[in-house]
Amino acid sequence: MDDLIKRAKELIETSAVKVVIGYEQGTGNKTRALFVEKSEDADKLIFDSRCVQNLAAYVTKKEVKEKGKMAIAATLPVMRSIIQLASEFQVNDNNLLVLGITPESKLIEFGNLVEVETFVHQYTIEIDARNKEMLDKLAKMTQAERWKFWIDELAPCFKCYACRAACPMCYCHQCTVDFNQPQWIPVPSHELGNLEWHIMRAIHLTGRCIDCDACYNACPLSIPINLLTKKMLEDAKEHFGGYQPALKGDHLMSTYKPDDKENFIH
Amino acid sequence: MSKIGVFVCHCGENISATVDCAKVAETAGNYDGVAYSVDYKYMCSDPGQNLIKSAIKEKGLTGVVVASCSPRMHEPTFRKACAEAGLNPFMCEMANLREHCSWVHEKGEATTEKAIDLVRILVEKVKYNHSLSEIKVPVTKTALVIGGGIAGIQASLDIANTGHKVILIERDPSIGGHMSQLSETFPTLDCSQCILTPRMVEVAQHPNITLYTYAELESLEGFIGNFKAKIRRKSKSLDEKLCTGCGLCTTKCPAKKIPSEFNEGLGKRTAIYVPFPQAVPNKPVIDRINCTYYIKGKCKICEIVCPTGAIRFDQEDQIMEVEVGAIVIATGFTVKQPDFFPEYGFGKYPDVITGLQFERLASASGPTLGEIRRPSDGKIPEKIVFLACAGSRDPAKGIPYCSKICCMYIAKHAMLYQHKVHGGKSYVFYMDIRAGGKMYEEFVRRAIEDDGVNYIRGRVSRIYEKNGKLIVDGADTLLNAMPVEIEADMVVLATAGVANEGAEELAQKLHISYDPYKFFAEAHPKLKPVETNTAGIFLAGACQAPRDIPESVAMASGAAVKVAGLFSQDELTREPIIAVVNRQAPPVYSSCVGCFLCISTCPYQAIEKEEIKNRNGEVIKSMAKVNPGLCQGCGTCVAFCRTKSIDIQGYTHEQMYTEVMALLNEY
Ligand SMILES: Cc1cc2nc3c(=O)[nH]c(=O)nc-3n(C[C@H](O)[C@H](O)[C@H](O)COP(=O)(O)OP(=O)(O)OC[C@H]3O[C@@H](n4cnc5c(N)ncnc54)[C@H](O)[C@@H]3O)c2cc1C
Ligand code: SF4
Ligand code: SF4
Ligand code: SF4
Ligand code: SF4
Repeated sequence: MDDLIKRAKELIETSAVKVVIGYEQGTGNKTRALFVEKSEDADKLIFDSRCVQNLAAYVTKKEVKEKGKMAIAATLPVMRSIIQLASEFQVNDNNLLVLGITPESKLIEFGNLVEVETFVHQYTIEIDARNKEMLDKLAKMTQAERWKFWIDELAPCFKCYACRAACPMCYCHQCTVDFNQPQWIPVPSHELGNLEWHIMRAIHLTGRCIDCDACYNACPLSIPINLLTKKMLEDAKEHFGGYQPALKGDHLMSTYKPDDKENFIH
Repeated sequence: MSKIGVFVCHCGENISATVDCAKVAETAGNYDGVAYSVDYKYMCSDPGQNLIKSAIKEKGLTGVVVASCSPRMHEPTFRKACAEAGLNPFMCEMANLREHCSWVHEKGEATTEKAIDLVRILVEKVKYNHSLSEIKVPVTKTALVIGGGIAGIQASLDIANTGHKVILIERDPSIGGHMSQLSETFPTLDCSQCILTPRMVEVAQHPNITLYTYAELESLEGFIGNFKAKIRRKSKSLDEKLCTGCGLCTTKCPAKKIPSEFNEGLGKRTAIYVPFPQAVPNKPVIDRINCTYYIKGKCKICEIVCPTGAIRFDQEDQIMEVEVGAIVIATGFTVKQPDFFPEYGFGKYPDVITGLQFERLASASGPTLGEIRRPSDGKIPEKIVFLACAGSRDPAKGIPYCSKICCMYIAKHAMLYQHKVHGGKSYVFYMDIRAGGKMYEEFVRRAIEDDGVNYIRGRVSRIYEKNGKLIVDGADTLLNAMPVEIEADMVVLATAGVANEGAEELAQKLHISYDPYKFFAEAHPKLKPVETNTAGIFLAGACQAPRDIPESVAMASGAAVKVAGLFSQDELTREPIIAVVNRQAPPVYSSCVGCFLCISTCPYQAIEKEEIKNRNGEVIKSMAKVNPGLCQGCGTCVAFCRTKSIDIQGYTHEQMYTEVMALLNEY
């Protein structure tokens, strides 16, 4: 990724941006986010197959935003996140420059978000085979079996909120679980509380989740919560013709239409 | 500490027959925070209300729960009683023991238990109630009427005569609508133009009415009392101030072969034209699509002949913004054309015409000067067939409803034919004769009995041409479906009355709803026939469903009264049951993250963006803001917002949660 390093240096040196967000070598075999503010730090930038963390989660963080204009090394999932975030008015051309990394690991710098969108729209969001198989298995279960599956899977969740912190779409300053007057979602990690937390999260991400798996990767207990959002993605396809982040147009779950079929109410 | 009063009503026997009201009152009296609890035969009666008022004063109540009927009935009564005793009216809540309990359950323990639960949740809720004040919004006392048919004309005149200003916009070059095209009108057979044109002139001359023809609504913003409408005034290619209406241009225009809309294609007009002699305004417009100059870049004959130099080829559409307080929609309807009917030749037989075309043939101002002559060769038809329900009442054609006016105008047409063509034979194929209305049935009987029109009950399966005749294949269902074949010279289809093309887009611009057939929807089919679901927007005439003239006029006057009622106030008061986005101290300002996804969820377009700026004018926070004039308190945004930043006043998260917890006995 020499061209990425070179470009990052230029951007910082010319003050075109104040910070470049990318990946660096972490402890062990892990990579972690790097915030380049000085041109010499750019040498630490790396990019390889281990770089799966969704960096878009940082562009809405106050501490990062405050630095000034940001540039971000963005893989396809990151670019998707950025388009969704832009449609929710969280980022725009004035505060973010996208240094795209194509699935073929090529660097492309985009002039603006419209170009990013055009690029992203060349690909549809596809659920990978392993998870697809799991979803089909879940669909074939009886309601009671499925219920037990989720109760068991969610039981160990101790609400560390790492999934939320890793998710680019979970940028709310006050998450529904943090809302305590009244406390609609119970804080303790009991059966009901865990179930409510994850159902709520899945609903809030429907039509917004770009299927990056960052939440699942962040979970210290590897709880397959991404199956919930993947299921919603499938449902979105079945009922609304599919989801693709877009700068303009109707939001999947939040657009009032007088002619909505509402045939899910029986 | 709350001091709540609970007032349990027997509603005569309505509640007390199945609920033990005394027990409800007694149980409620023991709840924390309840200072007074009592049951009484009729809470809504004067003594009942006095009971509440004196308890408020004597016990110093901070909240009131009336356990009686549906709040839809008496909430205003009890809130007013509280206000009179000095308690904020929004500190009063109602538990519905009648519709939700006593009427739907049998007498018994469980029923009383449920009544107790209903009271308890409201006792808990009222502890979280806050004083609210009504919202006041100013009223712009100008009405916008859209559509200048008889309904729009009537509504405009009625509103203008109450002393208020009216802006009337009409899409076509002249007002008048369908009524101006009619020959005579049922059930009196008086000449349509003769009764209509005086009203058209009155509109043009009325000091309170501003008329814009060749104009359409571009967009609408705002809310009851405070709408902002953008109107597109299409270019007429004419300086109307200079034009004297002499008509010289229309006689000289070389493009003379354009089918006249007014004559339903049976006559021709020029490219610069006045649609009909009595048009209001009586000044021409240039139809740019058919004008030789706009097509070929050469001509300008009208400009040369115009004695006042009024022609303006370079005139552009004008967008005008007006502020209005109320809107009446009177955009009328349209009729299906013969090409909709494969079984009747897809419109390929020139002598199969619509009822509206027949009106033009029968009209003294029409292309045949009132003689019934068939379009193909100008022959007077000796045999004529009228088909009722062409398209209407036919679910297979997507029009299951009855167009309502056809039975009557067919009788009129057949009668006019018999009067004009002596010795002619007329046949009517019908499904049922629907002649409900004053003097309507008598009118149809006159056609059958005095004028000898042959009514055949049955449908026509096919029409085809043979040897210059139109063969009408039908069946007489009163004679055991016996086949009937008539060799006719002309066939008139009473084609279905349908919504205007573009009705859907107009409804969307106006934020009103429409029915499955794209007719605009009234707020209540019985009790609110001229209101729409959007406050301040009313309906008149055939834009709501096919209607005849008397009904359209009555509706128009009804809508005008609603507008006048609205304009009788300087300010509107609205219940404060609306959504509010929370505000917090700087630097947070609000928990709203400005995702603005709530904007598109709101069915009433009540949410907008608000920018909080610092002293230097820089935006430091963008957040959602609810327009109190538009919000209907539906709560959609509240459920949607992920940061829980929106609350409905009077139904806050806190209040709803408390109610649920009270029901679960976890309060
Ligand atoms: C063949 C036939 C015969 C009839 N005979 C009789 C009869 O004898 N007696 C009787 O009582 N009734 C009769 N009727 C019914 C009568 O025509 C209607 O009741 C009447 O025309 C309804 O009036 P209206 O103003 O609601 O609609 P319309 O007459 O349709 O007027 C609507 C007006 O709005 C304008 N408009 C439409 N869209 C827009 C827009 N977007 N912006 C601005 N302006 C717009 C149109 O140009 C038109 O001028 C007959 C109908 C037909 C079809
Ligand atoms: S990261 Fe895992 S354990 Fe932590 S809150 Fe999310 S699901 Fe629960
Ligand atoms: S996969 Fe997980 S982390 Fe990625 S967008 Fe969806 S919910 Fe957020
Ligand atoms: S109120 Fe809620 S939904 Fe609306 S913009 Fe703010 S955070 Fe988003
Ligand atoms: S309560 Fe309903 S009408 Fe009011 S702002 Fe929210 S969604 Fe719109």
